[in-house]
Amino acid sequence: MALPRKKHENDNQDQSENRWKFSDLVEDPQIGDRWEKVRKYFFLRESTYDMTNRCNIRCEGCYYYVGEKQFAGENRDPEAWRRLMQGEKSRGITYVVLAGAEPSLVPELCEVCYQEIPLGAIASNGIKRIPRSIDYKIHISVWGNDETSFKVRSAKNMLLKQIDNYKGDPRAVFVYTFTRENIDEIYEVMDVLAEHECRITFNMFSAPVGYEGPLRHTEESLMHTRKAIMKLISSHSENVLFSPYNVVAHTHSHGLHDLFTCSYPRMNPSTDIGLGRSFRQYRTDLTWDRDVACCVPDTDCHDCRHYAAGSAVVTARLFRHATDPDTFKSWLDYVDTYLAVWVMGYEKGKNLCDYPVAPPGHDIF
Amino acid sequence: MTVEVDTKNLIIHIAEIMINELKLEDVTPETFDPEIDLVDEVGIDSMDLATVALVIQDEYGIRIDEDDYPKLITIRLIADYVEKRLKK
Repeated sequence: MALPRKKHENDNQDQSENRWKFSDLVEDPQIGDRWEKVRKYFFLRESTYDMTNRCNIRCEGCYYYVGEKQFAGENRDPEAWRRLMQGEKSRGITYVVLAGAEPSLVPELCEVCYQEIPLGAIASNGIKRIPRSIDYKIHISVWGNDETSFKVRSAKNMLLKQIDNYKGDPRAVFVYTFTRENIDEIYEVMDVLAEHECRITFNMFSAPVGYEGPLRHTEESLMHTRKAIMKLISSHSENVLFSPYNVVAHTHSHGLHDLFTCSYPRMNPSTDIGLGRSFRQYRTDLTWDRDVACCVPDTDCHDCRHYAAGSAVVTARLFRHATDPDTFKSWLDYVDTYLAVWVMGYEKGKNLCDYPVAPPGHDIF
Repeated sequence: MTVEVDTKNLIIHIAEIMINELKLEDVTPETFDPEIDLVDEVGIDSMDLATVALVIQDEYGIRIDEDDYPKLITIRLIADYVEKRLKK
């Protein structure tokens, strides 16, 4: 089945030729309103933090237990974390992502982070509930149906446990990671999540460095995933936080770096401005290393289609998307989705562009 | 064709765009120091700078390259860039 799409006048052309004036783009009331809505959040400046080197499950293809970061010692002193957060705030960080290995095991440290920097998200497997007093977004990882979860993560009844912990919780976003092997399982998982009125976004398995196992995507599995997500955007629009442009960006035959030029320090030598200047990825011992700093360290950059990476990398490319109404609407949909997934209280609007549009300078898929 | 550019007015106009677009307070176009580092001293980040670059493109009918705007970190540098483009 071919995906519906309109011919884009800039496809395969130098975009400078047909570039619209920015003032004309935002004059369209729909575009102008959405632009004003998202630009209020341009102040967000993120860094990420590994909270503990422990986890209550072991998953195949886990990013944490690859590379050097897993061997860093743990700093479990809440006051040391408080001082770190105060320092982060003073250098302009306004948003924190608490990740590896499993932050729910150290709620006292998460609490300190929240007290100092009140905007953020926690990446969790959802097995242990994070106290409600920590008002960050909570991203609950789902890697297939319960049978697959048991196989890949050695955890029984995982989805039901996750729903039991987070049903009705406005912090919760379920993040379904598509691997090469679990694509069609999304339909049953989606039905269960929708039945419990949970919200879901999508992630693409992006191989850790050196990983050549069965979860790694191929062109065929990317296309298969693309079709599945497009169906779900139509059938479950109340529950799904995603847009057709998210589908383009994350299931393209090129990874995010090749499409948009990754702006995280690991791939970006410039320290002039943006993520290259301010982003740090702290290990559990509160050290960081610019050479390996990105949102999901130890991912193979050329296979990176990670949702967290896109949230920063696509969003940062405002300038190149302000070329024509379809491309700019698509970018606005992407940013609107990103904010709904990552920022407490932000509500996603209706997608402005309901068909896939080519990324600037590239073919559509 | 070359275009005569009044640099002083250009600087004031760019300062005005900056103030309006980024809703800067406690400064006027006339008092905005054109040498001040917009990133280090004013706290402007990449998204703000991209927004300003888009508006300046419209205002002066010039093309700013995507690789160039992150380097335009003072009003003087922006004015020099606009001036060069207008004279091309």
